[in-house]
Amino acid sequence: MIEIRGLVFDYPGGSRALDGIDLTIQDGERVAIIGQNGSGKSTLVKHLNGLLRPTMGEVFLDGAPTAGIRVAHLAARVGLAFQDPDRQIFAGKVRTEVAFGPRNLGRRGGELAAAVDAALVAVGLDGVADQNPYDLGYSRRKLLALASILAMDTRVVILDEPTTGQDADGVDRVRRIVSDLGAAGRTVIAISHDMRFVADSFERVVVMGAGRVLLDGPPANVFAEAGWPTLATTYLEPPLAARVGARLDLGATATEVSLIEALAARAG
Amino acid sequence: MLSMRGVSYRYPGYARQVLQDLDLEIAPGDIVGLVGRNDAGKSTLCLVAAGLAPASIGGTLTGEVRVDGISTVGRPTHELAASVGLVFQDSNTQRSGVTATVFEEVALGSVNLGRSVAETVRRTRDAMATLRIEALADRDPARLSGGQAQLVAVASILAMGPRLLVLDEPTAQLDPEGTRLVGAALRDLAATGTALLIAEHKTDLLDGLCSRIIALDGGRIALDGPAASVLEDPALAAIGVESPARVRLARAATERGLTIPAGAFAR
Amino acid sequence: MSERSARRRADGIDDATTAPPPGADQLSEADAAYLAGLAPATPTAYHRQNPLTKATAATMATLGAFVLGGYVGPLAILVLGVVPGAIVAGLLGRLVRLAALISLPIAVSVALVSVFTRAGETVLFVIGPFDATLEGVDFAAQIIVRLFVIAMALGLFGLTTDPRALVVDLERRGVPPRVAFAAAATLETIPAMIERAQTIQAAQRARGLDTEGSLGARVRGVMPLVGPVILSSLTEVEERSLALEVRAFGRPGRRHLLWTLPDSGRQRLVRWLLVGLFLAVAVGRVSGSLPAPL
Repeated sequence: MIEIRGLVFDYPGGSRALDGIDLTIQDGERVAIIGQNGSGKSTLVKHLNGLLRPTMGEVFLDGAPTAGIRVAHLAARVGLAFQDPDRQIFAGKVRTEVAFGPRNLGRRGGELAAAVDAALVAVGLDGVADQNPYDLGYSRRKLLALASILAMDTRVVILDEPTTGQDADGVDRVRRIVSDLGAAGRTVIAISHDMRFVADSFERVVVMGAGRVLLDGPPANVFAEAGWPTLATTYLEPPLAARVGARLDLGATATEVSLIEALAARAG
Repeated sequence: MLSMRGVSYRYPGYARQVLQDLDLEIAPGDIVGLVGRNDAGKSTLCLVAAGLAPASIGGTLTGEVRVDGISTVGRPTHELAASVGLVFQDSNTQRSGVTATVFEEVALGSVNLGRSVAETVRRTRDAMATLRIEALADRDPARLSGGQAQLVAVASILAMGPRLLVLDEPTAQLDPEGTRLVGAALRDLAATGTALLIAEHKTDLLDGLCSRIIALDGGRIALDGPAASVLEDPALAAIGVESPARVRLARAATERGLTIPAGAFAR
Repeated sequence: MSERSARRRADGIDDATTAPPPGADQLSEADAAYLAGLAPATPTAYHRQNPLTKATAATMATLGAFVLGGYVGPLAILVLGVVPGAIVAGLLGRLVRLAALISLPIAVSVALVSVFTRAGETVLFVIGPFDATLEGVDFAAQIIVRLFVIAMALGLFGLTTDPRALVVDLERRGVPPRVAFAAAATLETIPAMIERAQTIQAAQRARGLDTEGSLGARVRGVMPLVGPVILSSLTEVEERSLALEVRAFGRPGRRHLLWTLPDSGRQRLVRWLLVGLFLAVAVGRVSGSLPAPL
């Protein structure tokens, strides 16, 4: 379980990035964080593995404060895939890159190889395991960064804008990974601008604006008409399915499937 | 404005033709969307259309690429840059690395074109206002978020005032508002006669913005036609492109024998 | 008209370079002030001197210290020229530390080599087969004094001149921007590499590499990064050159820069005086009309 209490973070230089965040995330929850660029989403998740430390407030992991625990030790429990893969990738070979995390966590031999292979298969890079990451395009480097976090088998997996630059197949892959992680009981936290991905793949949506939590709830509630004015304050729009559902008085239909079902139900 | 005839291209050191026998015409004021899988050749087409390939990055080009009727072959990139703008896929790559403020970064291209200071300042201000990044003017361009850097990259090309603008996934890092602003800026630019070529996965953005859509598959043109008809073409799925939400919803409804009134999709 | 210029004329892209800058006088006062503010900060009167003036001062001090030799000449340059400049710039302490740091390793090796190997009459002491002579000590001391003066002069230039300012000023004086930018890019590579290494290290910690512990752990963490970081900065340089090209960098013809650095007749005079003073000293030394170094 992750508990964030009264979290305030000021960047060096004084500008306030997080302005009092209270958030509890249960084990196995799939949570999407949405909000404008600069609303504090990435800053918030970097507090969960200690890369940033609160100016005020506290972060608890499984009931114990994370203050004073090294990033490298938190890494065994919380994996974070960066938004920009190039801030993460350093190895000369795809396989070495993916093995780096689990090796640091003490995995060796067959266990290590199995973790690496499984992660590469999950993101569809098993065919390029021996290539240099810099010979892959941006979207595949992004998947590589994701694989190197998956291979660590952490109970909490944080993905910062995982669908950026992905084509339809890539987005499907990320969707499948999130659903598999959820099925395996892991906690998944993802930052995203892709409202359809958010509505389809997550059971809870946290809307951030100017360093605060504006809305928090299941997609059907957050994207329901009552939430639109709040979404608009941070320049967000609900997915088209939600807008169409509201216009046709079908209630809260955040996903395309739920819209069609509601339409079919009304047609009898 | 841009004319490609029988264009094939391969990168230096690779045997594979990344583009194969492409024909493409873009007239002033056209907004042409470019869709396809990640390895379909969209980025390569952008580099070729902007004259960077093969002039700056090498490789072998066959066929003919003309900008304003003049072949791009043998023309140095800095010369083409006066009429052709290119926004790279990775905004990090786009950064010049030689400026200390966002204002100077956005102004750089205009300065290089030899424009007067007053004109450069006006164009820089306009480009920054269009994308609402005035507040970033004094920031260090090396210390921006991905989304901010992408807006700066677009602004830095807008300020040059190209007559052909090629954009490789200009909104990948952007939030919905940034995406909307870039869309509006491109629409305004086309209204002034600039020809636009936009590679983009967000078909929802291309829908309503583009006059024409070209779908690439394996380096060849698979579909080419008016935006609405290509975006509604069921063949898109087979080449790895997702239809816009309104098309998906209408199709899903039809499959169940239902209809969604067209008015329900309006903004 | 050459074929190339005809082609460019047909393209309508020649106007900007041949026509007088349109509206150069339309810059509002507020805009002019804003642009002036983009120039690197110049907190003191010494910082405000034109980069060429500061470069001339550093060069003449360096050459002067060489030509004069001895103790009095170089020390006079230091006390009368460099130190007052550093005081005006408000960084005497920092400059002395920097100059000492730079000249220390060379000073040590010079001292070791010349004190024991220089032949001389007056033997001060003997260590094994080596005897230290007074002449050797004197020679080493002279070199170290010169070295320190030069480090101070060049350090003062470096600490008070932003590379961008130098680039802009060189370009205004007709140095091709390509050359000037290559120089500036080189200067900026090292901090960029350090920053990149730090970013990747943070990501490595997030993947369980413990570098927060001992110094040893930290070094072990950095070592594997050296190769990739150098490699990726080389890639970056290549990408940057593309980014510059699509922004018409390297296009022939004059650029109208957003800010320039003030220069004045007085500064020009000072530069010529410095050059003249150096030439006079050099001629005096060569012709023997100046006394031998003291």
